[in-house]
Amino acid sequence: MKFNSWFFSSFLISFIVLIPVITVFASFFESTSNYYEILKNTFLFEYISNSLILLLSVLLLTFVIGTGAAYLVSFYKFPGSEFFKWSLILSFAVPPYIYAYSLTAFFENYGTAFTILKSLLGDTNYNKNIPKFDGMFGAILSLSFSLYAYVYILARASFLYQSQNLIDLGKNLGFSRFKSFYKVILPAARPAIVAGLSLVAMETLAEFGAVDFFSINTLTTGIYNSWIYFDDLAFANRISFFLLLFIFSLFILENLSRKKAKYHLNSKGGFKQKEKIKLFGFDAYLAFVFCFFIFFVSFLFPLCQMLYWTVKFPENLFDLQITNLVLNTLYLVTLSSLVLIIFSLISNYGNRVSNNKTLNLLSTLSISGYAIPGVILAIAFITFIAWFDDSIVKLLGFSSIKKLFIGSIFGLVLVYFIRFYSLAFNGIKSGYEKMNISVDESAYLLGYSKRKTFTNIHIPFLRNSLLFIIILISLEIIRELPITLILRPFNFETFATTAYISASEDLLEAAAVPSLFLILIASLFIIVTSKYILRENNE
Amino acid sequence: MSNNFFEIKNVDFKVGNKVKVKNVSFSIEKEGDIICLLGPSGIGKTTILRTIAGLEKIDKGSIKLDGKTLSSEKINIEPENRNVSLAFQENSLFPHYTVKKNILLGSERNKGNKKKQLNIEELIDLLDISQILNKYPHEISAGEAQRASLARSLITKPDLLLLDEPLSNVDQSFKEEIQEKLKKILTNLKITTIIVTHDSYEAFYLGSKCGIILNQELKQFDDPYNVYHLPNSVEVVNFLNRGILIPAEVTSPKSLESKDLGTITGNFVKPFPIGSNVKLLIQPEDLQHDDKSNLKLHVVDRKFRGTNFIYTLRASSNTLIPVFVHSHHIHQHEIDEKFGIKRPIHIDHIVCF
Repeated sequence: MKFNSWFFSSFLISFIVLIPVITVFASFFESTSNYYEILKNTFLFEYISNSLILLLSVLLLTFVIGTGAAYLVSFYKFPGSEFFKWSLILSFAVPPYIYAYSLTAFFENYGTAFTILKSLLGDTNYNKNIPKFDGMFGAILSLSFSLYAYVYILARASFLYQSQNLIDLGKNLGFSRFKSFYKVILPAARPAIVAGLSLVAMETLAEFGAVDFFSINTLTTGIYNSWIYFDDLAFANRISFFLLLFIFSLFILENLSRKKAKYHLNSKGGFKQKEKIKLFGFDAYLAFVFCFFIFFVSFLFPLCQMLYWTVKFPENLFDLQITNLVLNTLYLVTLSSLVLIIFSLISNYGNRVSNNKTLNLLSTLSISGYAIPGVILAIAFITFIAWFDDSIVKLLGFSSIKKLFIGSIFGLVLVYFIRFYSLAFNGIKSGYEKMNISVDESAYLLGYSKRKTFTNIHIPFLRNSLLFIIILISLEIIRELPITLILRPFNFETFATTAYISASEDLLEAAAVPSLFLILIASLFIIVTSKYILRENNE
Repeated sequence: MSNNFFEIKNVDFKVGNKVKVKNVSFSIEKEGDIICLLGPSGIGKTTILRTIAGLEKIDKGSIKLDGKTLSSEKINIEPENRNVSLAFQENSLFPHYTVKKNILLGSERNKGNKKKQLNIEELIDLLDISQILNKYPHEISAGEAQRASLARSLITKPDLLLLDEPLSNVDQSFKEEIQEKLKKILTNLKITTIIVTHDSYEAFYLGSKCGIILNQELKQFDDPYNVYHLPNSVEVVNFLNRGILIPAEVTSPKSLESKDLGTITGNFVKPFPIGSNVKLLIQPEDLQHDDKSNLKLHVVDRKFRGTNFIYTLRASSNTLIPVFVHSHHIHQHEIDEKFGIKRPIHIDHIVCF
């Protein structure tokens, strides 16, 4: 056990990241009010049942879409398979709330579908024949088509390493193609698929924008509403407590299955990749249609819808202060990336050189920030600052610090830091895992101090990982909604908040322009990183 | 006060709280000497090297280099301040730098001290790594990585060089050549070296002294000749696997009687009282083939080892005895045939337990 400045820095960083979780739990236990009665008699049942229906449906759909697409592009060659391999992750560029706007815009009365039918078939009332994708169904579709890529990426990686030999094994046992899939390939990829589904589950439970747009009362919207409409922070924290318990169960499940997935990766050396099976005729056509349908519905459809409205209502384009939004986004992205990278590097290195079990445990707990919905984080942060301000700052006779943290860029970046810390921490950690500890020891034996080893050996080694992490963080921050909405300074908008505000005022046409920009910028980031994401998974 | 260049005194070598090798003491008398530590895998040889390098701490005894204490219960000089170089068994090259850059990083350690500098071209040539200089560690074989790592360690011209199984990944065909080159370079540069290996031939060739580590102890630390011919315990005999122990009775200060081999004469390494029952070490080169001898044993196996055959013979008591025969010997014996042993049997050093 080595206690040094690296150890204490890592300890402090991990502790700061854990503050919101501690706050939520502390608020729950400190309360003496009759909250059980309040919850039982009001919305708790509806919150929970809606959250569960949404969760299970999204899990089912993302499993079918993600695993199906991953299976096709991993094992078969068909027209467009090389294109679909990376383009299917473009759905990440469309956050669920923007998907929700597109869905509504297209299928609503006198919406885009109506306009298309009218121009094709003449003027009549098509509204009654156009299906309506709103409410719970709309939310399920929005979330599924936006989030399936988590399952797709992890399942695909697993298929690529584990199952190439397993297909031969299946053939050897006389299995049909279908039987090979569900008897051999699917069970072997189970840990990866479960890991992907756990991420989908966490995102679904944390989702705010889309469910709020469709007026579905879930635990997350419940938290937001109890704070915004009832000004009841304690009540919000109590609901947060339930959601956190639920999410932590998923988090543990995800962690457990990831450990197993790692086991599979270690054995990849024994598997040789083989030529993909070429599909012909109807089979090739079916595979193409399946993948194109997913690509079209998940990415092209919302993109075209937003583009169509931007072109149809060009005045919105001119009303929008694009330069400001780009600058604001850039400002947040740069500042947050910088903070996240620096502190995650320090924390990772501290863990590496200290090799201390307590610190490892604290780090593992602290990366749970990603599993905590943005709404909870933001509210827990406000609760903590309010408590800290009232009880400590005032006690010491200093002036209030609330303004420094709440409604400020500083506070916003701090909460982004907590929310996306696991992304940066894990990214750097996986980079470090590729570097044997004997590399550090070699450096010491060559006369390098710990600091020099960090700056001269580790940073250059992690350069590519850091670039990748910066792009991922940027992508997340561009799409992020609830934290920005709650904690941003007055009149400070991003593409996401501008789209949300317009949509919540029923001005979907106005929401189209910022949504379009958001999709385009996010797509650019994804295209830049897609090859890295795929290579990261050892293709 | 001892004048040894390097000295380990009563040290328990540990990983965490687990003792791997206990109460170890040995020394290297002169600067530039090479010693080898032999032992089976997982016995703690690497732990010893890591501790000497400063990567593990000790809480008992002391490690001294050139009169200066490197490690003791109270002192622990950090690895970067020891000028002790360790070449790891596994690839520990910096993965993001080319082989050349890796080696040059090693040369940075003693920059400004011209006496310490080594001619890099000569080293590259000696280790035959000129073809891989511009490659990255993941692009080269394990054997090449080991040689590159060795070059990086050598270039620092450390006060003490520690090599952990330095040639374990080098092709057998290339191994002897590298061993010769390595010995030459270490001797020429007078680099004091401790080599850990599980290959006894490598240890006997490279080391002026060999230490045998077995069952958490340094069992023997001696010249290679003595380690081979005069092993000091049954464990060392079994570990070296170069002979068998057969029951015999001491009949005089210079002879024994064995039920299987009859009378054996020679000089006892350690005296035993007449009449005592002992276990006598028989090594393959102790016995000679003689077709005319009336001492006949049954051939149960024959191994061709290039320059010689090793016959495994079954004695009347079912003991299996190995015997070397030059491979150019006029005829070969098939399995189940009878094989004559020259009598009287004389062994220069009689080792008994």
